Amino acid sequence: MRTISLYVEKESFIHGLDPVTKLWLTASLLIIPFIVGNIESTLVCLGINLALLSVARVIRRIFSILAMSLVLIITLFIIQGMFYGGNRTEAFALGSLVFYREGLRYATLLTLRFFNIISASMVLILTTRPSDLIESLVRRGLSPRIGYVLASVLQIIPMMISNTSTIMDAQRSRGMETEGRLVTRMKAYLPLMAPLVMSSLVATQERAMALEVRAFGARNPKTFLHEEIISRHALPIRVLTSLGLVAAVIWRVIL
Amino acid sequence: MKPEVMVQDLSYRYDDGEEKALDGVSFEVYPGEFLGVVGPNKAGKSTLCQALVGLVPHFFHGNMDGRVVAGGIDTRETTVDELSKTVGLVFQNPFTQVTGAKLTVYEEIAFGLENIGLPRDEITRRVDEMIALFGLEHVRHHNPFELSGGQMQRMAIASIMALRPRIVALDEPTSQLDPQGSAEVFQAVAALRNQGLTVIMAEQKVEKIARYADRVLLMHKGKVAACDRPEVVFSRDNLLDLGIRPPAYTSVARELDLRRPDGTLPVTLDDAVALLRNSSVNS
Ligand SMILES: Nc1ncnc2c1ncn2[C@@H]1O[C@H](COP(=O)(O)OP(=O)(O)OP(=O)(O)O)[C@@H](O)[C@H]1O
Ligand SMILES: [Mg+2]
Repeated sequence: MRTISLYVEKESFIHGLDPVTKLWLTASLLIIPFIVGNIESTLVCLGINLALLSVARVIRRIFSILAMSLVLIITLFIIQGMFYGGNRTEAFALGSLVFYREGLRYATLLTLRFFNIISASMVLILTTRPSDLIESLVRRGLSPRIGYVLASVLQIIPMMISNTSTIMDAQRSRGMETEGRLVTRMKAYLPLMAPLVMSSLVATQERAMALEVRAFGARNPKTFLHEEIISRHALPIRVLTSLGLVAAVIWRVIL
Repeated sequence: MKPEVMVQDLSYRYDDGEEKALDGVSFEVYPGEFLGVVGPNKAGKSTLCQALVGLVPHFFHGNMDGRVVAGGIDTRETTVDELSKTVGLVFQNPFTQVTGAKLTVYEEIAFGLENIGLPRDEITRRVDEMIALFGLEHVRHHNPFELSGGQMQRMAIASIMALRPRIVALDEPTSQLDPQGSAEVFQAVAALRNQGLTVIMAEQKVEKIARYADRVLLMHKGKVAACDRPEVVFSRDNLLDLGIRPPAYTSVARELDLRRPDGTLPVTLDDAVALLRNSSVNS
């Protein structure tokens, strides 16, 4: 069964961390470079994120994402290199096109930040089941109703997509055109959407009732089937990330 | 004996309903009894089931008169989640009973128990018990959506039963299943009976009702048309006018004028065969 998730099942100490510690780690490594504001801090955080990803043995997954953004990055270098507002010092020239140090440096900073955002998020996303993250948040006070909606959407959307293709196949086998010009396709989609929308509306009401008879509306505090395992690395990691954040703020205020 | 379920002069109209979905319904169900509910489309079977667990009037805020008392609790005076520990309801469509928020059958069955706040060891004890009772061992780690219809419906029954209700209502639980799946569900229902539960089951398959039910409640246009032993209800002459067909054995017996000593017609195969044997011995 598909759910919307990029989770990669592996054994590693990153995988073993509880989702909230990971969320904390990711968030800190993501914002520290913005607090400090220089290239060096961004490089350090990016380095830590890449190290975490390789410890979790999922680093190959991010290469494809970074490769896909290559065109964007090249464009960024060209535009900032030539037209950045603070451009003063010429770095090099290709014929009549002049590139400046300040612009290239700024483009480097933006690129590193972009890489850092991606890799920090991926530390969380690639090593955490969405359902585990949601459950951890519910344990810490997120409303179970919101938790339920988030968790079920991840499963029910792929389900609806596969229903759509089933209905499409059914319509196509009755001779309906579902490919070709936009107008043709629009005509095909309307009768397609009607049963889908109707059935999912009815299903929503039925599911709501089915939840109610399983005490979903209960006011008492919920309990959890799974015990939350907080690994022994969690505390040191939280302390270190908090110290990192504090250091970043101090740096920013003093300098 | 004190009745386990008491429905007294129950009338209900949905907010947007033109006619009453239930109109002066009264009946009682005794502990451990199996009550079959039959009736044509729109007779009010589903509405009745929903009234037993308090969805009517707590979920649908229509206009309800009369009283439903299940396991000693007046449904109007409590909440659906409180009632879930006393009365369960299994719906028609196995698919819409899957929460969608859980990744395995095991977690799915535990859902209700987490909601009522049971301690972890009690949750696992009950879920293990339900998995064994409903033959779901080999799929316990599967995704709920990957099950067959019959397995999914058994999982739904297990999820309700895990809450340990004394009474279970089932609203046409096999109408969306293939013969294999519906046989599985009937086996599960038999397991409920063996647990001593009070079972109320709406069902179109009259042959099944004739075989399992102690009594049959026949509904028509929101009213109770009959409530009696299966052979009494299915022996009525005007069944087709009330929108249901008697069991096939009963129709054959009527043609042959094969009656029991009390004048009723046989309703199950065994019943009919026994009567036939008897009559051929006598003649
Ligand atoms: N959610 C609703 N809102 C408004 N009216 C409803 C609703 N559900 C059922 N009704 C109406 O209430 C009446 C009884 O319906 P109910 O679904 O209880 O019958 P049923 O015996 O279960 O029928 P079926 O065999 O089709 O399942 C019908 O007239 C129906 O149109
Ligand atoms: Mg119904």
